Amino acid sequence: MTIVEAAAALRAKRVSSVELTRESLRRIEQANPKLNAFITMTPEQALAQAGERDTELARGADRGPLHGIPIAHKDLVCTKGVLTTAGSKLFADFVPDFDAEVAARLNEAGAVTVGKTGLHELAYGITSTNPHYGAVRNPWNTDTIPGGSSGGSGAAVAAGLVAMATGTDTGGSIRIPSSFCGTVGLKPTYDAVSRRGVLALSLTFDHIGPMTRTVRDAAISFNAMSRADYVPPANVDIGGLRIGIPRNFFFDHLDPEVEKAVRNAIATAVTLGAVVKDVSLPDIGALNTVGRVLLLSEAVSVLRPYLARRADFGPDVLALLDQGRMISAADYLDAQRLRRLMYEEFARVWADVDCIFTPATPMVAPLIGQRTVQTGGIMEDVRLAATRFARSINILGIPALAMPVGFSASRLPAGLQILAPARREDVALKMGAAVEDALGLNMETA
Amino acid sequence: MTHWKTIAASLDPPVPAEDAERIAPVLEALEQSFRTLAESIPRGADVWTAPE
Repeated sequence: MTIVEAAAALRAKRVSSVELTRESLRRIEQANPKLNAFITMTPEQALAQAGERDTELARGADRGPLHGIPIAHKDLVCTKGVLTTAGSKLFADFVPDFDAEVAARLNEAGAVTVGKTGLHELAYGITSTNPHYGAVRNPWNTDTIPGGSSGGSGAAVAAGLVAMATGTDTGGSIRIPSSFCGTVGLKPTYDAVSRRGVLALSLTFDHIGPMTRTVRDAAISFNAMSRADYVPPANVDIGGLRIGIPRNFFFDHLDPEVEKAVRNAIATAVTLGAVVKDVSLPDIGALNTVGRVLLLSEAVSVLRPYLARRADFGPDVLALLDQGRMISAADYLDAQRLRRLMYEEFARVWADVDCIFTPATPMVAPLIGQRTVQTGGIMEDVRLAATRFARSINILGIPALAMPVGFSASRLPAGLQILAPARREDVALKMGAAVEDALGLNMETA
Repeated sequence: MTHWKTIAASLDPPVPAEDAERIAPVLEALEQSFRTLAESIPRGADVWTAPE
């Protein structure tokens, strides 16, 4: 059930929060040996929380659309009294004595937390093939990766284990798993959702956001998580909204099946009254380069206290940390100066369009262990290919919505990315909801 | 170009030689693309703060 469906069923007394939570826990028990989507389950706490939500609703105390809905947190969101590993050996026994602000906000909104989802080690990678906690698997094909770093959240939502899971996105870690798992993922404007109590990877471009089955559920969740007083769109009339289609970069070297699905989504938006305009964007490859310099440096700053414990890191994360240790302070500052210049250059495009459509990833989910991928005639490292359309957006700090818009012949989801100006999540969500309604895809996994 | 392997050996704790061997080409490629960009920064350009 989606959040919207479950909320309606709760209020019509067709189901209770305890029943929804029991069903969620049952599904997790059943699916987790296959998917490895969860690191920790919290059944007793969840059922107690659900019981309280039922009692409240019975006496007319309604906290809103998330009241009584089972959700999960990525396992780097601190949760009071519950193991929070960050997918790392370093935090294998870490039990915070506080809730992250986002967890507290979702509790306040009435959500029921059933557990903590798996992720790429320290959220520093996109496969979620974790050397310490095992590979998370994609419910659409368990031989493929779910993407990452929020791979457990993507797998859990796609398999219908929970209606919403939190994700974090430093270089695509909400949008890549959303693209590969066929879920909706919103990377909001930088700092729109508090980072307090979420174990950091980067100091200036970690973003927190929701991963859900539908765009409306993402809007509801963002409203609860956000510091902003955001109101989900009441209607999805996109008549006259201007969609920018990049002339450069985003449609180069693309899996033809992904391109077909994204072009179909664009055509669908046009039939709904949106207006398409070609736009030239600043050098996205250059933005990605700047992003790599920044992230390599910032991750070292965050993880410096643990760097002597080399044996406690997996090989891919250790290699990135070693690279970061060698970036100079002058290069880091130059990267931050370039970031500002590029942000200002990119911002000019919003004079001509309201949002921009791009593919979320150039390809569908690769196999677990696959190192390279052929996309549009070039052979590329899987990690660089998966982050190619996502990383630059973190550097800009603007909102980006990833959502499913079709399938490959092998029945793997293909994702669209909708970009909007800073603090205009409403535009991306409205556009996404309209396209979602019109496409009417069946996103039930087997 | 930067002598990545020398830097790797000088860090505390040092990056083991075999690891440095693997990552040096990655850093060389990154440096090559980044250096061109850094040289284009106009005098007086400030650092990024947050989306406006």
